[in-house]
Amino acid sequence: MKAYQADIAKFEQASTQVLGISVDSSPANKVFAKQEGLSFPLLSDFQRTVSQQYGILNEQHGFANRTTFVVDKEGIIQHIDKDAEAIDPSGAHAVCSLLEHRKAEGSKQ
Amino acid sequence: MGKRTSIGAALLALAVPGMGQPAALKVGDRAPDFTLPDQDGRPVKLSDFRGKKNVVLAFYVLAFTGG
Repeated sequence: MKAYQADIAKFEQASTQVLGISVDSSPANKVFAKQEGLSFPLLSDFQRTVSQQYGILNEQHGFANRTTFVVDKEGIIQHIDKDAEAIDPSGAHAVCSLLEHRKAEGSKQ
Repeated sequence: MGKRTSIGAALLALAVPGMGQPAALKVGDRAPDFTLPDQDGRPVKLSDFRGKKNVVLAFYVLAFTGG
Protein backbone atom coordinates (compact mmCIF):
# COMPACT_ATOMS: atom_id res chain seq x y z
CA MET A 1 0.00 0.00 0.00
CA LYS A 2 2.98 2.29 0.54
CA ALA A 3 3.84 2.09 -3.15
CA TYR A 4 0.31 3.28 -3.99
CA GLN A 5 0.73 6.09 -1.49
CA ALA A 6 4.05 7.08 -3.10
CA ASP A 7 2.24 7.37 -6.46
CA ILE A 8 -0.87 9.07 -5.08
CA ALA A 9 -0.15 12.41 -6.80
CA LYS A 10 0.24 10.61 -10.14
CA PHE A 11 -3.09 8.85 -9.63
CA GLU A 12 -4.76 12.15 -8.72
CA GLN A 13 -3.36 13.72 -11.89
CA ALA A 14 -4.99 10.91 -13.84
CA SER A 15 -8.32 11.71 -12.13
CA THR A 16 -8.16 8.46 -10.19
CA GLN A 17 -9.32 7.55 -6.68
CA VAL A 18 -7.32 4.83 -4.93
CA LEU A 19 -9.28 2.61 -2.53
CA GLY A 20 -7.62 -0.09 -0.45
CA ILE A 21 -9.88 -3.01 0.50
CA SER A 22 -9.18 -5.77 3.02
CA VAL A 23 -11.17 -8.16 5.18
CA ASP A 24 -9.80 -6.43 8.30
CA SER A 25 -11.97 -4.35 10.62
CA SER A 26 -12.18 -0.54 10.31
CA PRO A 27 -10.23 0.00 13.58
CA ALA A 28 -7.43 -2.31 12.33
CA ASN A 29 -7.37 -0.40 9.04
CA LYS A 30 -7.20 2.88 10.92
CA VAL A 31 -4.09 1.76 12.79
CA PHE A 32 -2.58 0.47 9.53
CA ALA A 33 -3.31 3.74 7.65
CA LYS A 34 -1.66 5.75 10.41
CA GLN A 35 1.31 3.43 10.68
CA GLU A 36 1.93 3.47 6.92
CA GLY A 37 1.01 7.15 6.45
CA LEU A 38 -1.75 6.40 3.94
CA SER A 39 -4.01 9.26 2.80
CA PHE A 40 -6.48 7.23 0.74
CA PRO A 41 -9.47 5.31 2.19
CA LEU A 42 -9.01 1.75 3.42
CA LEU A 43 -12.32 -0.09 3.19
CA SER A 44 -13.30 -2.92 5.47
CA ASP A 45 -14.85 -5.96 3.76
CA PHE A 46 -15.32 -7.66 7.09
CA GLN A 47 -18.24 -9.79 5.82
CA ARG A 48 -16.12 -10.80 2.78
CA THR A 49 -19.09 -10.15 0.48
CA VAL A 50 -17.20 -7.82 -1.87
CA SER A 51 -14.11 -10.08 -2.05
CA GLN A 52 -16.48 -12.89 -2.96
CA GLN A 53 -18.37 -10.78 -5.55
CA TYR A 54 -15.06 -9.97 -7.20
CA GLY A 55 -14.18 -13.66 -7.23
CA ILE A 56 -10.93 -13.28 -5.32
CA LEU A 57 -11.77 -14.63 -1.87
CA ASN A 58 -9.23 -17.21 -0.81
CA GLU A 59 -11.63 -19.79 0.65
CA GLN A 60 -8.89 -21.71 2.37
CA HIS A 61 -7.55 -18.76 4.33
CA GLY A 62 -10.62 -16.50 4.41
CA PHE A 63 -8.95 -13.41 2.99
CA ALA A 64 -8.92 -11.77 -0.43
CA ASN A 65 -6.07 -12.61 -2.77
CA ARG A 66 -3.86 -9.65 -3.54
CA THR A 67 -5.51 -8.15 -6.64
CA THR A 68 -5.86 -4.66 -8.11
CA PHE A 69 -8.78 -3.69 -10.36
CA VAL A 70 -8.85 -0.48 -12.40
CA VAL A 71 -12.45 0.69 -12.89
CA ASP A 72 -13.11 3.49 -15.38
CA LYS A 73 -15.59 6.34 -14.98
CA GLU A 74 -18.33 4.25 -16.56
CA GLY A 75 -17.88 1.52 -13.95
CA ILE A 76 -16.18 -0.92 -16.34
CA ILE A 77 -13.10 -2.94 -15.34
CA GLN A 78 -10.20 -1.87 -17.56
CA HIS A 79 -7.26 -3.67 -15.99
CA ILE A 80 -6.54 -6.41 -13.45
CA ASP A 81 -3.23 -7.05 -11.67
CA LYS A 82 -2.82 -10.21 -9.61
CA ASP A 83 -0.48 -11.29 -6.81
CA ALA A 84 3.06 -9.86 -7.25
CA GLU A 85 1.90 -7.62 -10.12
CA ALA A 86 -0.66 -6.01 -7.83
CA ILE A 87 2.03 -4.88 -5.39
CA ASP A 88 3.52 -2.63 -8.07
CA PRO A 89 1.06 0.19 -8.86
CA SER A 90 2.77 1.19 -12.14
CA GLY A 91 0.52 -0.97 -14.34
CA ALA A 92 -2.63 0.46 -12.77
CA HIS A 93 -1.27 3.97 -13.10
CA ALA A 94 -0.37 3.49 -16.77
CA VAL A 95 -3.95 2.38 -17.50
CA CYS A 96 -5.44 5.38 -15.66
CA SER A 97 -3.18 7.78 -17.56
CA LEU A 98 -4.20 6.16 -20.82
CA LEU A 99 -7.91 6.45 -19.92
CA GLU A 100 -7.48 10.14 -19.20
CA HIS A 101 -5.46 10.64 -22.36
CA ARG A 102 -8.12 8.93 -24.47
CA LYS A 103 -10.80 11.06 -22.85
CA ALA A 104 -8.85 14.24 -23.58
CA GLU A 105 -8.40 13.15 -27.22
CA GLY A 106 -12.09 12.35 -27.48
CA SER A 107 -13.18 15.73 -26.15
CA LYS A 108 -11.00 17.54 -28.71
CA GLN A 109 -12.93 16.04 -31.61
CA MET B 1 -42.41 -31.66 5.94
CA GLY B 2 -40.47 -32.87 2.89
CA LYS B 3 -40.90 -29.50 1.26
CA ARG B 4 -39.63 -27.67 4.31
CA THR B 5 -36.53 -29.90 4.41
CA SER B 6 -35.68 -29.15 0.79
CA ILE B 7 -36.03 -25.40 1.36
CA GLY B 8 -33.75 -25.76 4.35
CA ALA B 9 -31.21 -27.62 2.22
CA ALA B 10 -31.35 -24.89 -0.44
CA LEU B 11 -30.73 -22.18 2.17
CA LEU B 12 -27.85 -24.17 3.61
CA ALA B 13 -26.30 -24.48 0.14
CA LEU B 14 -26.37 -20.67 -0.17
CA ALA B 15 -24.64 -20.32 3.17
CA VAL B 16 -21.80 -22.76 2.47
CA PRO B 17 -18.68 -20.80 1.51
CA GLY B 18 -17.53 -21.46 -2.02
CA MET B 19 -20.92 -22.56 -3.29
CA GLY B 20 -21.84 -19.03 -4.30
CA GLN B 21 -18.38 -18.03 -5.52
CA PRO B 22 -18.84 -16.37 -8.93
CA ALA B 23 -16.35 -16.75 -11.74
CA ALA B 24 -13.48 -14.26 -11.45
CA LEU B 25 -14.18 -10.93 -13.12
CA LYS B 26 -12.37 -10.03 -16.32
CA VAL B 27 -11.49 -6.87 -18.21
CA GLY B 28 -14.60 -5.40 -19.86
CA ASP B 29 -16.94 -6.60 -17.09
CA ARG B 30 -18.97 -4.13 -15.08
CA ALA B 31 -17.46 -3.74 -11.59
CA PRO B 32 -20.03 -4.94 -9.03
CA ASP B 33 -21.21 -1.97 -6.96
CA PHE B 34 -20.66 -1.99 -3.20
CA THR B 35 -20.74 0.20 -0.13
CA LEU B 36 -18.09 -0.43 2.54
CA PRO B 37 -16.95 1.55 5.60
CA ASP B 38 -13.59 3.33 5.48
CA GLN B 39 -11.17 3.35 8.43
CA ASP B 40 -13.29 6.02 10.15
CA GLY B 41 -16.51 4.09 9.62
CA ARG B 42 -17.75 6.38 6.84
CA PRO B 43 -19.53 4.52 4.02
CA VAL B 44 -17.83 4.63 0.61
CA LYS B 45 -19.89 3.63 -2.43
CA LEU B 46 -18.19 2.61 -5.68
CA SER B 47 -20.90 4.04 -7.95
CA ASP B 48 -20.51 7.49 -6.33
CA PHE B 49 -17.34 7.88 -8.43
CA ARG B 50 -19.15 7.11 -11.68
CA GLY B 51 -18.73 9.88 -14.24
CA LYS B 52 -16.23 11.61 -11.95
CA LYS B 53 -13.15 9.49 -11.34
CA ASN B 54 -11.46 6.27 -12.32
CA VAL B 55 -11.11 3.98 -9.31
CA VAL B 56 -8.20 1.73 -8.41
CA LEU B 57 -9.46 -1.04 -6.11
CA ALA B 58 -6.44 -2.48 -4.36
CA PHE B 59 -7.40 -5.63 -2.44
CA TYR B 60 -4.69 -6.27 0.12
CA VAL B 61 -3.95 -8.43 3.12
CA LEU B 62 -3.05 -6.56 6.27
CA ALA B 63 -0.61 -9.26 7.35
CA PHE B 64 1.44 -8.76 4.17
CA THR B 65 2.16 -5.07 4.01
CA GLY B 66 4.39 -5.13 0.93
CA GLY B 67 3.47 -2.59 -1.75
